[in-house]
Amino acid sequence: MSSFFGVVAKQIKSHPALIPLFIFISGGATMSVLALTRAALKNPDVSWDHKNNPEPWNQMKPNQQYKLLAVNMDYSKLKKDRPDF
Amino acid sequence: MAEAVSDKIKNYKTAPFDARFPNTNQTRNCFQNYLDFHRCNKALSAKGQEVSPCEWYQKVYKSLCPMSWVSKWDEQIENGSFPGKI
Repeated sequence: MSSFFGVVAKQIKSHPALIPLFIFISGGATMSVLALTRAALKNPDVSWDHKNNPEPWNQMKPNQQYKLLAVNMDYSKLKKDRPDF
Repeated sequence: MAEAVSDKIKNYKTAPFDARFPNTNQTRNCFQNYLDFHRCNKALSAKGQEVSPCEWYQKVYKSLCPMSWVSKWDEQIENGSFPGKI
């Protein structure tokens, strides 16, 4: 890995115009990694522990929002409306 | 709570928004309500209570699910080959 950063540092020194490229590429890679970890850890459709938490979507609150951007949906007004059993 | 539930069942128009299934694909919403109806029947009759609140889940899955799925699952339950956990 150190050779990778050495190569990159050499390239930046010789072609400083490439700096915005590195910024955007690393930003994009970071965002995709963050999105994947969010999906793996926070997505209610994903169950890591089959024995203790087999249906994680049933642990959600009735006004809990998973989507990052919800258009035309006021989550604060939602109430629980299913009978208990 | 029982009065509120029977009122809700009486005034039922269509399946309400379910925060567990916010996207366009409502397949799991249908299956979950079908499962919940049968689980509710099983749990309340095991406790000796009336199963009338479970009618809510039946109304919801009848609104959401294609009839062919419902009849197929009902057959599977009678056969004992239903794949879901009830």
